[in-house]
Amino acid sequence: MKNREVFLTDLALITCIVQRGLGDEIVIAAREAGALGATINYARGTGIRERLGFLGVAVEVEKEVLNIVVATEQVDIVFSSISLAGKLDTPGMGFMYVTPLEKASTYIPPTVVEKLEERG
Amino acid sequence: MEPEQRFRYGDFSREVSMDHHQISYNALAPKVEKDADGKAIPYVHPKVDLRAADVYNLVRPYIQVRFLEQFKAVVPLALYLVLFQIFMLSQAVEDSWVITGGMFAVIVGLMFFMEGLKLGLMPFGEAIGNTLPKKSPLPAVLGITFLLGVGVTFAEPAIGALKAAGAIVSVNSAPYLYTLLNDWAGTLVLVVGIGVGFAAVLGTMRFIYDWSLKPMIYCAMVPAFGLTFIALSDPELAKVLGLAWDSGAVTTGPVTVPLVLSLGIGIAGAAGSGESRLSGFGIITLASIFPVIGVLGLAIFVSTQTSPAEIIAAANAAQSLNANILPTWYETTPGAEVVGGLRSIVPLVLFLFVVMKVMLREPIKNAGLLAYGITLAILGMIIFNLGLTYGLAKLGGQSGGLVPAAFLAIETVEGSPLYGYAMGITLALVFVWFLGFGATLAEPALNALGATVQNLTQGVFKKSMLMYAVSFGVATGIAVGLTKIIFDLPLAWFLIPGYATAIVLTYFSSEEFVNIAWDSAGVTTGPITVPLVLAIGLSFGNAVGALEGFGILSMASIGPILAVLSTGIWVRYRARRAENMADTAEKTGVPTT
Repeated sequence: MKNREVFLTDLALITCIVQRGLGDEIVIAAREAGALGATINYARGTGIRERLGFLGVAVEVEKEVLNIVVATEQVDIVFSSISLAGKLDTPGMGFMYVTPLEKASTYIPPTVVEKLEERG
Repeated sequence: MEPEQRFRYGDFSREVSMDHHQISYNALAPKVEKDADGKAIPYVHPKVDLRAADVYNLVRPYIQVRFLEQFKAVVPLALYLVLFQIFMLSQAVEDSWVITGGMFAVIVGLMFFMEGLKLGLMPFGEAIGNTLPKKSPLPAVLGITFLLGVGVTFAEPAIGALKAAGAIVSVNSAPYLYTLLNDWAGTLVLVVGIGVGFAAVLGTMRFIYDWSLKPMIYCAMVPAFGLTFIALSDPELAKVLGLAWDSGAVTTGPVTVPLVLSLGIGIAGAAGSGESRLSGFGIITLASIFPVIGVLGLAIFVSTQTSPAEIIAAANAAQSLNANILPTWYETTPGAEVVGGLRSIVPLVLFLFVVMKVMLREPIKNAGLLAYGITLAILGMIIFNLGLTYGLAKLGGQSGGLVPAAFLAIETVEGSPLYGYAMGITLALVFVWFLGFGATLAEPALNALGATVQNLTQGVFKKSMLMYAVSFGVATGIAVGLTKIIFDLPLAWFLIPGYATAIVLTYFSSEEFVNIAWDSAGVTTGPITVPLVLAIGLSFGNAVGALEGFGILSMASIGPILAVLSTGIWVRYRARRAENMADTAEKTGVPTT
């Protein structure tokens, strides 16, 4: 018998870089908009901080990088709600982008797989 | 029939709710010019011009987060004191506006100071810790570590509280204590600093050679106890014990801990060791024992130089002289606070700067940012010192002076004693117990320690368990310390059995718990708790007519050590019993539940 492999398609990766400590709020907003979860890395970033001059002290060098995988149909709504929650339109608050993903694999409950395959 | 039309819901909701614009990044990206030879000219990014609204949006969260952090630490404590005073003692708060202003100064001062510490002093500590061991031999490195230990003690905000306490001590009842806090105040801080310096050196060597903390505790306790016994043999010297053992708790504050630790960890990392999970612990323990030895040593030295009678005579003479001379501007507030703030930060910064430039020949990076940080640290220290005088010390002193009215007749309080003797004392003890419990639980350093400990012990020692154990220990310690002041008992009665028990428990505990327990005491006595508790203790002591009001902090240090060590032993016992039960169940084939 062949091994069964189930993987997911039609997904996109939203990567959002914000100042350290502000990530949790954004993850909550993303989950409320339908995202299932987030992976968080710590990082350091430069850019706007140097160009703000004296005001740069208000921008934390240490960052959090949030990786959130969503379905392609969810991208826009999650993207907007993160942008609002993170106040990304304020200087120094962060940066966000979307990357298309080819496929992904994770635990999918067997009952869900059956139901989806029945539907065709 | 019309063909069916399908829309994605996402497109629909976007179209309805948002006004979208797209801009090509190509339109924004800078064009790199080429010179005549075809070489690219490095592009210089222009400064961003911000609208006022943007500046506001940028600066508001920056200030808000930092302000709230200190606000949360200060306000509940102050409210507790005020509410207790109003409802239990039915006394209005005197100078309430001055105190409110002072408390605000404490919050703003700490906010500035912590940010300045992070931006202006920590980068030095990290840079020196990383590069110093590569460029200098170990003895030189340890020498610098020692000097840094001395320097950070002068910069510690709570040290100011110790100096301020000198004014309250009466020369007639405790002459040595008076002369230590007044005539020898500079030397006192210096010996405390030397103690911290030695602790930093030994702690760093411990990182490098991976020594166990247990024998170091035993070795440090021998001279501490020895000098305590010598001091006990002279009834005049015995009054210094409270100050000596309290000084340990005062030193381990928000400057010493991160700066010395970052240096020590940097050195250990460069020496190729420090992989131990416990590296980082231990310095705080030693930094709270060695100053005790230093202060006791100084007290004994002073006692060989002068006699109590001479001190009293000199103090009285000075007092009658000073009655005619107005104190110079730098001896009165606010001048004294400004000078004090400058004097505590500037030498430390100069020392760090000299090490960077002369010893390491390292360029100073981000000079503007460093200057900003140092300015903030100095400003913060000055504002904090002002807040200490007008807010924390004043409020603490007021409650400390009024709480005894619960069980004693106090002149200033009408109808005192307000409650029966036993009831009043119980009320006073319950008051300080909850004060200690709440203040410790709110200390941000404790939260951080709890998280570290939970990771270290793989979740066996829960974060909340540590936080409650430490808070319980501090609270009980403070209550015991207050009992000592109420009944005017010798501190040694509590100190010697307390530390003896701690040593016995240390012997039976595992290395991990020893590290955690002995450090927990120093970590939790921060820049708000220390001045408040000192002020309450001193004026409480004055009100009940005790000889001196020191000793509460030392009790608050030994309390958590005992609490955490016993909790650690209990946790280990429980874990082992669960293991044993699982083993026997496996052998007999009985399924465990």
